[in-house]
Amino acid sequence: MLESVLVANRGEIALRVIRACQELGVRAIAVFSDADRSAPHVLAADEAYRLGPAPASESYLRVDRILELARRSGAEAIHPGYGFLSERASFAEAVEAAGFVFVGPRSETIAAMGDKTEARRRMQEAGVPVVPGTVEPLVSGTDAVRIAEELGFPVVLKAAAGGGGKGMRVVRGKDEVERAFDAAAREASQAFGDGAIYVEKFLATPRHVEIQLLGDAAGQVVHLGERECSIQRRHQKLIEEAPSPAVDGELREAMGEAAVRAAEAVGYRGAGTVEFLLAGREFFFLEMNTRIQVEHPVTELVTGIDLVKWQIRIAGGERLDFGQADVTLRGHAIECRVTSEDPAHGFLPATGRVRSLLLPSGPGVRWDGGISTGVEIGLHYDPLLGKLIVHAEDRAGAVATMRRALRELRIEGVETCLPFHRRAMDDPDFQAGRFSIQFLEQRPDLLEGRLSSNARLAAALAAALLEHKRRDGFHPRTATGFREGSSLTAWQRSGWPWSNGG
Amino acid sequence: MNYFVSVEGEQFEIEVNGTELKIDGEVVDVDLAGLPGTSRRSLLLDGRSHAIAAEGRGGGVWVLDLDVGPVRVEVVDRAGLAIRELTRRVAAERGPRPLRAPMPGMVVKVEVEEGEVVGAGQAVVVVEAMKMENELSAEAEGRVKKVHVAPGEPVEKDQVLIEFGPVDDEETSDA
Repeated sequence: MLESVLVANRGEIALRVIRACQELGVRAIAVFSDADRSAPHVLAADEAYRLGPAPASESYLRVDRILELARRSGAEAIHPGYGFLSERASFAEAVEAAGFVFVGPRSETIAAMGDKTEARRRMQEAGVPVVPGTVEPLVSGTDAVRIAEELGFPVVLKAAAGGGGKGMRVVRGKDEVERAFDAAAREASQAFGDGAIYVEKFLATPRHVEIQLLGDAAGQVVHLGERECSIQRRHQKLIEEAPSPAVDGELREAMGEAAVRAAEAVGYRGAGTVEFLLAGREFFFLEMNTRIQVEHPVTELVTGIDLVKWQIRIAGGERLDFGQADVTLRGHAIECRVTSEDPAHGFLPATGRVRSLLLPSGPGVRWDGGISTGVEIGLHYDPLLGKLIVHAEDRAGAVATMRRALRELRIEGVETCLPFHRRAMDDPDFQAGRFSIQFLEQRPDLLEGRLSSNARLAAALAAALLEHKRRDGFHPRTATGFREGSSLTAWQRSGWPWSNGG
Repeated sequence: MNYFVSVEGEQFEIEVNGTELKIDGEVVDVDLAGLPGTSRRSLLLDGRSHAIAAEGRGGGVWVLDLDVGPVRVEVVDRAGLAIRELTRRVAAERGPRPLRAPMPGMVVKVEVEEGEVVGAGQAVVVVEAMKMENELSAEAEGRVKKVHVAPGEPVEKDQVLIEFGPVDDEETSDA
């Protein structure tokens, strides 16, 4: 077992790693920026050292400072968390070169999976399915027809230089190909000054399903089933669950085997994830994430395996003490990412100081958070405040627990995306598991939301508040029906200008 | 006692008599309680339990934390209604309230000059925060009295950016 781990991160993931260390009897060392001096991860750690000013470029991204603090604190290993330096091969390399253990895969693995073309090539070699299509640009419309027929319709023509839908055409039949090719090439050269077009098989409404892996230094790799992560806004996952409502035992085995092959092809060590697009029962490699993921808790809840502890144990040289046959799934878990983004205003980042934090509890509820009362939510870092995760016997039970927990969770002082999650849990399509990665594009009503019947409730409360205030002012003890325990301070805070019969 | 509540553009007149509350012609039992030291309120409407945080913003404005998200409500009694009308008339004579920075950031652009007339909702300043440009606009029609910032300047939250006067305030420079 490692003696100590420096956690080169902040927020909920830093706290998650620190908790794992402390449960394993490993000395947990935090680092912090000036903005995080009193953050929960600093308060929880056994030791904490200052990195630098608030901007990430002057603190959590400063490799030299992190290594200096690792030396000063006598750390044995460095855990990168997710984001920041976690997927920079150069960081892993620097950590190892400085004589510390990097909690994660070898730097060569990170480098190979970070290069998309290289990753695609390696996966094809390992027999992992990738989205069929050309890598080289097409030369002509007739070329396009030939390849489209090979792939099978529908196909999508894409600008090689492109993005944002420009120069993109979905083609459903042979007759449309040449005209679509000309139009796409024209659009691409206008938009990007480059008319190069390539073709891919078109997946209309795929799901994002990913497989969790653990590999040890001795080369044993096991998969821990899948996570369903289709509920995304602009490629940002918002709700994840395990297992996926679209995956049965047979498909899980096929996807798991492919993911294990992918990991073995790059000699994977530690916790990692292979992301797939799932269309019907066909799945295609998207990318491999060589770190712990935000949504790891749903896997932990259904497998009973602590992924972060295993990261630390594997980094300390331990071998997995279980095999593939020992991994079984129990029940259903759902995670809602709670961010300081305001769904009423296009998910704009919100700022403020957390004035009050009421956390849900009771059976099946877990909160992995990085905030506390009094913490300032600024714009320096990722808006993730915490993750609400629930576990129940089946999916319907998990949805019910999540609905209940979302009502209990109250964060005052900063706008959050909680109203979105409450609407999603109430939605019949979500409840039925009917969604793809396009779900939120098709359902802007879930993102924006409306006040509906709650206006009357708000009005009634407002009238009751003012009535009570009025009575409180005139005859504090004779009011019947209006009992206000929060004393005068609440009313004084309200600053009502015409108070007390004035 | 009758109260006039406005909730996101919707108006309610609510009558409160003892432990009864009349809303949209419907009479319900009402019981309100709070937790000392917190903004939490327990509202029982005909026994139905609602746990809501209510934050007083002054001037009869409350921000209520409902399941659907934060909701701003404004409540006045009949006397308050009359005073508010008066305040609005005064405001119209004095011009819109000063424009303040809603968040810390940097001024990217000032789109108006002193003396210029602006309409309600017209963009007057662009502030960048977290690499996003935010257009800030005048809340009502008025004349730009003083521009306090220039492009490139950092601003704090709530810092006054622009002051306004009434439209017909052409010659005078102070209110």
